[in-house]
Amino acid sequence: MSRFKDLQKNLFGGTTSNARQFGMIFTLVAIVLLFQFLTANNLGVGFGDGLTLRSDNLIALFQQNSYILILAIGMLMVIVAGHIDLSVGSVAAFTGILVAKSMADWSLPWPVAILFGLAIGAVIGAWQGFWVAYVGVPAFIVTLAGMLLWRGANQYVGNADTIPVPKGFQDIGAGFLPEVGPDTGYNNLTLLLGLAACLAVVWRELQARKTRKDMNAEPAPLWVSIFRMAVMVAVLIFVTLRFAGGRVGTSFPISGLILVALVLIYGFYTRNTAGGRHIYAVGGNSRAAELSGVKLKRVNFFVMMNMSILASLAGMIFVARSAASGPQDGLSWELDAIAAVFIGGAAVSGGIGTISGSIVGGLVMAVLNNGLQLLGVGSDRVQIIKGLVLLLAVALDVYNKSQGRFSIIGSLTRPFRRDEPSKPAPTSDTGNEPAKTTVAG
Amino acid sequence: MRNFFGKTVAVGAIAMLALTACGSGRDGDTDSGSGDSAKGFAANSLIGVALPAKTSENWVLAGDLFTNGLKEAGFTSDVQYAGASTTVADQQAQITAMVTKGAKVIVIGATDAAQLSTQVTAAHAAGAKVIAYDRLITGTPDVDYYVAFDNFKVGQLQGQALLDGMKAKKPTGPYNIELFAGSPDDNNATVFFNGAMDVLKPEIDKGNVVVTSGQKDFKQIAIQGWKAEGAQARMDQLLTSTYGSKELDGVLSPNDTLARAIIQSVKSRNKAVPVVTGQDSEVESVKSIVAGEQYMTINKDTRTLVAQTLTMVKALQAGNAPEVNDTKSYNNGSKVVDTYLLPPVAVTKANAAEAYANDPKLAALTK
Repeated sequence: MSRFKDLQKNLFGGTTSNARQFGMIFTLVAIVLLFQFLTANNLGVGFGDGLTLRSDNLIALFQQNSYILILAIGMLMVIVAGHIDLSVGSVAAFTGILVAKSMADWSLPWPVAILFGLAIGAVIGAWQGFWVAYVGVPAFIVTLAGMLLWRGANQYVGNADTIPVPKGFQDIGAGFLPEVGPDTGYNNLTLLLGLAACLAVVWRELQARKTRKDMNAEPAPLWVSIFRMAVMVAVLIFVTLRFAGGRVGTSFPISGLILVALVLIYGFYTRNTAGGRHIYAVGGNSRAAELSGVKLKRVNFFVMMNMSILASLAGMIFVARSAASGPQDGLSWELDAIAAVFIGGAAVSGGIGTISGSIVGGLVMAVLNNGLQLLGVGSDRVQIIKGLVLLLAVALDVYNKSQGRFSIIGSLTRPFRRDEPSKPAPTSDTGNEPAKTTVAG
Repeated sequence: MRNFFGKTVAVGAIAMLALTACGSGRDGDTDSGSGDSAKGFAANSLIGVALPAKTSENWVLAGDLFTNGLKEAGFTSDVQYAGASTTVADQQAQITAMVTKGAKVIVIGATDAAQLSTQVTAAHAAGAKVIAYDRLITGTPDVDYYVAFDNFKVGQLQGQALLDGMKAKKPTGPYNIELFAGSPDDNNATVFFNGAMDVLKPEIDKGNVVVTSGQKDFKQIAIQGWKAEGAQARMDQLLTSTYGSKELDGVLSPNDTLARAIIQSVKSRNKAVPVVTGQDSEVESVKSIVAGEQYMTINKDTRTLVAQTLTMVKALQAGNAPEVNDTKSYNNGSKVVDTYLLPPVAVTKANAAEAYANDPKLAALTK
């Protein structure tokens, strides 16, 4: 058992929450491989020729889901802070129609229109944040009201019309990187991005080893580091070649790039900054956080406002991809985003969850949806399956907690071990994600 | 340990080589896209059919007919309905999945005809032919064919039937009427309405027919999403605001679902049922016509439409250009789409038995 624990610790960074996250990643990989097999089987071709991992399908997968995953980033922070936001779909729809109209009626140039859209999101977010943080109305109620309010505003402004958007604007949702440089048989910019990602992985691993050495802690055995790097680099190379090797004119989608940028920024923010840790503190125990000097109202205001800004961005990306803003935009997006966050391991009571977990959770749903569609399963049955997966994923988490297995809360309440912590935990660090502070396994 | 390290590196290197090898090259865009139909394609190819959510009997029937028809013709079929709550996004994903699966022809009954251009363009680029079924997809030059009933004619028949029906009940005017139209995001809704107004406008101008509420603008009378509850609510409000004492003689309704909602609303106020038009020959409405409540409906036999679509698919398979009969009326904003129009039939109580003779389900109702 202890050998296994050591191995697990070495490979996955040692914490149970990381292990759980890797569990999710394994689930994702397993689902991808399963559908790769099933689609290949369905067509009667070899495993390598399955549809799931084909370039065009991977590209489509990201384009179809980038807006939901962007919502999941904001939703994770809202849920970690102990709230919920039901209004995101309506906010997205309202922003979408205003932005489309601003370009059609006032001939606003599209880059300005995007800024205009984000500003609308900020204003709406400030409105909702005000009620939640300063008046103290539960977010559930405020955003339920918002759901009606902004949906109505969408219909009022749009007259239930479908309004097309110009070509330049469409690129944020449907666009690709340009083809530059020599003809390598691949999209060169995507290759460069992949290379940068590989270098980042290697650099991060070396940096982590160096940090441990500097602190006189025993670094993970060399072979573990190499193995970990090799696996991640191999996956990155594979994915890069897939994205770069699609039809000429396609590449890693621009909406996907926006998503990756947001994941990196918000991931860093929630993990490594005081402001980000405050969100976990508030969600974990708001009274304790307040007594420790966390500005409760400001944190609540921020997460609600941030959510609406991201919702407006998601709305614009969807409108761009659909080439038009329609009256049915944003319907039930909030549910998809919330599902992604909970499948990704967030706790309903707040205080627990990670951005990367939510993204993986969203991707699990996305791959499931995509794979079932490739198999020709009707949308009625797809909905049934997705509902069951959501329930099972969360039920498994709850079960594990009660049995004290991959327990997140349990691991936090257990005493710390001797060789711990590599860096003193900040007082506000009540969130799970002990990325820096290794918890006894 | 050293040994293990060496092995790991070796395995990693081999794995990477293997991965690099399998991602070789990219498909050019030369072989497809230009897509002249001279070549045709294999007889057992995949044909994708993307239909809206199952909100009306017609779509369900169309789906069944496509599934069976394509199977009989020897094709592999993939018939999909959009989900009930996330219609547009679902349909976008379904069309993309069909492209991925290598469908040769994709038949699309659009949920929102203006929000599919990205997917249609991608389908075309991948070499699939796109047939817009019943609803014309707008904003893209990549729609290859459009097949539908002549919807302007549908509107004209509705308008004419409304006038005839009111005249039969009350020989002289002026007649009080109200207007309803379909969903503003459905390209057809405007066409129905314009067709009907083509007939009604001269009578309204003469003062022979009066829209009592004054609501004549398409935006005022459109019912979002073709929702029955929307029509019922609007009729309730009209009865309250306008028909306290006045008699309502006729209602222009664009389809059967809305027609029944309108009749329901009138009946709940204990008012005499006016002459109400319809469309689609839904079972409940045919019953209602036979019982003498709804005045008329339009028979756009889904069987004929699906059969015509299948004929087009077969022509494409053989490498021939499918037959079209209108090459100038249907401009989708990017190009004029080659269209095959089928003639609709107006059905009232008088000709119901004859009109539905070929339809086993409806024929039984008219006996």
